[in-house]
Amino acid sequence: MSSKILLIEDDEVMPKIVERILHKEEYKIEHVTNGKEAFQKLEDTDYGFDLIITDIMMPYANGFEILSRVKNRKEGKPIPVIIVSNAGNEDMILEGFKLGADDFLKKPVIPGELLIRVKRLLMQYNR
Amino acid sequence: MEFSFYEFRYAPLSIQIAGIFIVVAIVCTLLAYFSILVGRYRAYRQSERLKKLHPIIDEQLMEHILLNEELASDVPADQVQLPLESFQQPVFEKKWARQALIDRLIHYRNNVRGSMGEQLRNLYIQLDLDKDSLKKMKSRKWERKVQGLAEMSNMNMSIADVTILPLTNSNNRELRAAARHAYIKLSKNEPFKFFDVVTEPLLLWDQVELFKIISTTEHIAIPNFAQWITYSSNKSIVSFCLKLVVHYNQLSAVPAVIRLLDTKDHYVRADAINCLGKMKVEDVEEKLVHMYNSQPLNCRLEILKALGRISSGKYVDFLRQEFLHATDFEVRKHAAKSLINNKWAAKGLIQELIDTATAENKLILKHSMNPLIKF
Amino acid sequence: MDNIWETLGRIYENGVFIYGTVLLVTYALLAIFSMISVRAYAKRDNVDQLNTLLSSPLAPGITVLAPAFNEGLTIIFNVRSLLTLNYPRYEIIIVNDGSTDNSLEQMIEEFQLVPVDFAYNAKIQTKPVRKIYKSSNPAYAKLMVIDKVNGKSKADAVNAGINAAAYPHFVCTDVDCILDKNTLLELIKPVMQEEKKRVIATGATLRIANSCEFDQGVMTRMRPPRQLLPRFQEVEYIRAFVLGKMGWTLLNCVPNVSGGLGLFDKEIAIRSGGYDHSSFGEDMELMTRMCRYAHDNKIEYAIRYIPKTLCWTEAPVTVKIFNRQRTRWARGLAQLMYAHFGMFLNPRYGRMGMIIFPYNFFFELLAPIIEFTGIIYYIVMGIFGLINWPTALILLLFVYTYSVMITTIAILWDQLSFKYYRTWKEVAFLCLTPFMEFFLYHPLIVIFALRGYWYFLTGKKSTWGNMQRRGFQQTPKPAATAAAAK
Repeated sequence: MSSKILLIEDDEVMPKIVERILHKEEYKIEHVTNGKEAFQKLEDTDYGFDLIITDIMMPYANGFEILSRVKNRKEGKPIPVIIVSNAGNEDMILEGFKLGADDFLKKPVIPGELLIRVKRLLMQYNR
Repeated sequence: MEFSFYEFRYAPLSIQIAGIFIVVAIVCTLLAYFSILVGRYRAYRQSERLKKLHPIIDEQLMEHILLNEELASDVPADQVQLPLESFQQPVFEKKWARQALIDRLIHYRNNVRGSMGEQLRNLYIQLDLDKDSLKKMKSRKWERKVQGLAEMSNMNMSIADVTILPLTNSNNRELRAAARHAYIKLSKNEPFKFFDVVTEPLLLWDQVELFKIISTTEHIAIPNFAQWITYSSNKSIVSFCLKLVVHYNQLSAVPAVIRLLDTKDHYVRADAINCLGKMKVEDVEEKLVHMYNSQPLNCRLEILKALGRISSGKYVDFLRQEFLHATDFEVRKHAAKSLINNKWAAKGLIQELIDTATAENKLILKHSMNPLIKF
Repeated sequence: MDNIWETLGRIYENGVFIYGTVLLVTYALLAIFSMISVRAYAKRDNVDQLNTLLSSPLAPGITVLAPAFNEGLTIIFNVRSLLTLNYPRYEIIIVNDGSTDNSLEQMIEEFQLVPVDFAYNAKIQTKPVRKIYKSSNPAYAKLMVIDKVNGKSKADAVNAGINAAAYPHFVCTDVDCILDKNTLLELIKPVMQEEKKRVIATGATLRIANSCEFDQGVMTRMRPPRQLLPRFQEVEYIRAFVLGKMGWTLLNCVPNVSGGLGLFDKEIAIRSGGYDHSSFGEDMELMTRMCRYAHDNKIEYAIRYIPKTLCWTEAPVTVKIFNRQRTRWARGLAQLMYAHFGMFLNPRYGRMGMIIFPYNFFFELLAPIIEFTGIIYYIVMGIFGLINWPTALILLLFVYTYSVMITTIAILWDQLSFKYYRTWKEVAFLCLTPFMEFFLYHPLIVIFALRGYWYFLTGKKSTWGNMQRRGFQQTPKPAATAAAAK
């Protein structure tokens, strides 16, 4: 069964790259471009995703808010979250981990690295 | 009230001038309308063209470059022959389209590196787009030169010293900075040689750019920054090197930083103390406390912060003293924060302080202990 | 007797002629200077640079200060939009200036705020601070809310924010202003790129938000105002910012950083004493005092403006509220000129004393008075039948075409560098506005300014004109987002 991934990213080309890295056969990627759409998607699907990849700075709601909402959910299965951002200030990374981010990747990403981390997190959470 | 030319000629001078200016104003206004119209039309056409071109570029990149099967093979990235035919459409002979392609490639490279990044660079070379960038560097306009430099440097293309060195001495600050940044990134010989020769201050902005280049360029040989900390007479270079020392946790530079504590410039001194604190150099605490009383406010605050960062527990009494008896609010606040950072060695003391402190001091202590407050 | 009147009349006429000529030349020069600096800016404008700063650990910290008084209608969305600004190191301080509505409760609930023991140090005296709140949710760690007793002025509220600010620079804005997401990056850039001087303030162009479309505090569509009065103000703002401020920035002679959006050097602002709560034009007043402080302490300073529009603000729609706003501004100007008259033509204050101050005195403060006397003069002359109508009409036509030209040029500079507005129709619409400005808008400004001067002279008591907020989110939210926003 393919894993469902939510990609929240307001850059134009990043989703194309991610789709290339995470092959269609194994991963089903849904893409939204801002915090509002992300919340809407999550509500509509009742948080039906196996993994979330998010940027930090986006319109409507930033990545930290999304992270906090996902991680503070009482019911349902936990969802791993990877932050992919070009803002790589140390404070920000710490803030992300404090909120329960599972991983932090700085742009530009290395394709292999992203793939491995996604695989590892999916395995970890599906055990 | 009808005016004839005859009347106008014999009108007072001021009226004549006014008349001429009326015509000038009307003409200028009309010209302005025309320029707005032309400008908007051009921008509209460009955006329409890009709207059509971007999907084509993206599709080609997807099909042939990003998922090139040969990527997975063992052939070194730059030896893969890319299927260029798909890019040999007539549109890519036009200058604007080639520029759009370069911009798009850079956009991709800002998001991805590794093997994909290498293939994008490959494509840039095999389509001879580097020639376009080089041409820009020979343009007469400085901003074109900067653009060319930025493209070459993003694509990691080496530039001949004869081309780039003259630009590093340009009279235009921005061009000069861009050329130096590119040189540091691309030069094989001595990337940091500008640290020796630059006499003008390194702007905060340049430091941001340089920091990015130094910390993201692969295979750059990180020198020992102590050489500039000790010998450079350029304060901004010294303070920038201090930041790099922290970033690379360069312990070998610590003795040079300690020697800097005796410098006359108190801004540099404060930077040095800051650096030592962040590096958690425990041995220096005694010297810092010893020099404390002779320092201006900014250095005092840095010393207090450093004691908190190092957190050796040895100077709890000193911090307590400052917290209780200093007159400056900032000093007391930082003393309290550092006390809290040393709390593993001062548990009883902190409780005692809370119990006996004045209302304001208690507030400062609580402020420092609250995890929600960062500063 | 006749002779005296005649001589006086001639002196007046000549005086006005010289005055007018200097003013027109000044405007022509400003148009040229602004073109140079707008073009220079456009050449340097580069997205990659902003991205570099965004990812840098060396970015200087910035505090965003936004005072709020009874903004319950929009406060949550506006704070949310501040939380999504692009910048690596910043904090947001909302100063709840004794609101009587439920703004504070809304924020406490939405952002999970808890009161904290904050060691607040009143470096600038303000009305008492009741409580300081931080969020218990790390996602909102950037946010701080100060609840204070109403001080009847924006100045007092912002001062409380400055006292609590942690970073060396602060951006002052209004809670109801909508900021571009790159505002902080853009405003700090001139500070970091200045070579020798210390940049004590930077500002950017403001525009009118009235007809723009917003969704939860995010602008989705920019438009010139449809209603006439706000549209006049949009044109006026473009002229004042893109042509005026950009012209002055080339000479390092910016007279004022607008209260709607500006970045300031915190240390100098505090040392200069912060905002003056008794001033009617507190933004310009602070700027003047900061310059004065810098001169007195031999600090080489600069004030920079950028031509990009980064802030959208709601403009008065009714003449009544517009009147209140402009009367207040004029009064603030008169107050300022009076309080700092020692700087007037005082070489000790460099360009501030020799250029900015005289310019403001003659062409901002005196302009409405001179115009008004001019009209009276014409009426009197008309009654006595002494007007040479052809001459008078030619002069009038000249002033009219000239003013339309200057405004159109301002719109051109703006349009050439940044393609605001989606359609050419909207631009055409805007270009028609200056033709009416002379007859409809300008007289209002003159009258309101004179009213302000009158209040200044008579010392009439006046409080904050609490503007009626229209509220930015017009469309009801779809149910899904409402649920998601919980």
